[in-house]
Amino acid sequence: MSHPIFSVDSQENIQQKARINLLPCRIHHDGNVNPVETYWSPNGSEDQTKTAYLRGRKLQGKVVKLPEGYYGSVVEKSAPKKPEPSQEEMVEDLEIIEDAEDQLQVGEMQGKATFDEFIVWNHETLANSSEDPYLRGMEEWISFAGQIHSYPPVKASNK
Amino acid sequence: MARTTRSKASASTAATSETKSTPSNTKSRYTLPTESTNPPKLFILPTSATKDAKIVSLLNPRYTKPTRYLVCPETGIYEFTRIAAPKATPRSWLIECGNTGKVEEKTSEDGAELGAYITKGADLYVATLIDPLFLILPAFAAQSANTKDEKRMFISSDDHLDSIREKSPHLSEILRWGNIRTLLESRMAAICDTAEAGDETMFRFNEDKLLTEVLSKAQKMSEQSLPKSMEEKFVTKALEAPVVGMKRENTTTLSISQTEAQVQSETPASTSTVSTPKPESVESQSSALSTGTAPSLVSEVSTAATSVVEESITTTTTAAELTPSLGASPEITTLQRLRTAFNFICSCYIAPSQVTRLQTKLKEQKPPPIDFTPLDNYLEEISKLRQELAAARSVGDYSRKRVLDEEELADRAEKKRRKEEEEKRKKAGESKGVRDLKKVNTVGMKKMSDFFKKK
Repeated sequence: MSHPIFSVDSQENIQQKARINLLPCRIHHDGNVNPVETYWSPNGSEDQTKTAYLRGRKLQGKVVKLPEGYYGSVVEKSAPKKPEPSQEEMVEDLEIIEDAEDQLQVGEMQGKATFDEFIVWNHETLANSSEDPYLRGMEEWISFAGQIHSYPPVKASNK
Repeated sequence: MARTTRSKASASTAATSETKSTPSNTKSRYTLPTESTNPPKLFILPTSATKDAKIVSLLNPRYTKPTRYLVCPETGIYEFTRIAAPKATPRSWLIECGNTGKVEEKTSEDGAELGAYITKGADLYVATLIDPLFLILPAFAAQSANTKDEKRMFISSDDHLDSIREKSPHLSEILRWGNIRTLLESRMAAICDTAEAGDETMFRFNEDKLLTEVLSKAQKMSEQSLPKSMEEKFVTKALEAPVVGMKRENTTTLSISQTEAQVQSETPASTSTVSTPKPESVESQSSALSTGTAPSLVSEVSTAATSVVEESITTTTTAAELTPSLGASPEITTLQRLRTAFNFICSCYIAPSQVTRLQTKLKEQKPPPIDFTPLDNYLEEISKLRQELAAARSVGDYSRKRVLDEEELADRAEKKRRKEEEEKRKKAGESKGVRDLKKVNTVGMKKMSDFFKKK
């Protein structure tokens, strides 16, 4: 199993903004669903709740803001490419391919769009922050992880 | 000749039927575009990471297999946490691109390329900073396992890291980036004794230092309250005293088994997942396991971080005097928080073998870095109370009945479900006639075989 390295587009390089919706249903489809307006037109109010109807079901949405210092990114994985030098080896045979696994593969996580909030939709009720894993992830995990993993800056720790 | 015309005709009819069938397919006004094999993923990334940051595979300190990390040459290493809805709750992402946002003009051209997207899985990957300390821990795993302190040698950081280079695919690569090397070395120094040899620093692994480091982290975490859901489950609930309302004299044997730091290890997927985001992965529960009317010695299994003394308590108590609520003092709450935090770190970032050694170290160290005795006493008392309560409830016929834990209950439910399903399937296979015949009351009738006997 090879493990390519992926580069990540940084926030500045991504032009588009995305609205992210977490639907309370599983749609067995990956891919484009244009045009979306005909069946998805949430109407928001200024406060953090929104309503929408999806196939006749009323959904209530709660806007979740990403914490400070983080941004969301919709990325698409592009196939890892071998760096130049490995090309000579590719000419040769199977044995080398095992070798080639050691070769560094560089893929790219192409940033398609960024977001700084997403909406958690639920049937009838608003998402509950003590239950919904997404809400908890945003509200609890990120700050908690900060507490676990804070360490003194490099220079200071070199006593 | 006739043949050819016929085949032509059939071909043409096939063609017409095809053309006919196509519009019928598109009768629902929207055709579903082909599925993409490479659905977009959602990441939450720190803004502090520079654009040179890359996603690489490094050895996961807990699961000892390669896992995805985001490494930024400037600001450090980030771990990915996958947030996903449990299987039971269906979730999907609907991503709408372009119609809001800063660059409105662009939408017209890009919108066609990526308008609205549906992804079947609703995963969200969150990148948060990880202390590089944990990433270099596996390098010391072998040493701490088989050697005594005397045998450990001062060797250079490279030699230490060499031991995990094979299993950690991109380690050598990232060591070449920016100040990752200095970062790793500085964190290595935090858990090692160091010595200067020429212009190189040599390191020797020191478990005490690691323990101090982990404890100070736990302390930092427990200064404020833990995240709400975690606090509720592991602190408030664990310290909750049961309400005792019954008077009963009873001889009970207690056995407390603390299965803390039990990781429901959802195996990290081959992509960039690390641990489950749910803080519940640290299961700390003190449950009374066995109740018996005869006093017997029950040894206590404890993987807990502390010196929960091996003890079996045979009590002849009158539960009457015990007040229903046994409030936990702030001191005890803090201790419980601390222990939860410690166990959480251990269960997420440290290999099991190293955890056991850390925990024995925590127990044996003199003077103890943190005195958990008040907490233990308190927990003991609570479990005693619970025990009595359970005993009081289950006197008589139920005294021998095992208390099912959640897993067993789930197991049982699963079995039941399967059985039902099977039955259903069996029924579906039967013909109507057979089913109807079943309803006939055959009592007193001759057997079918009777009619076919020789007379």
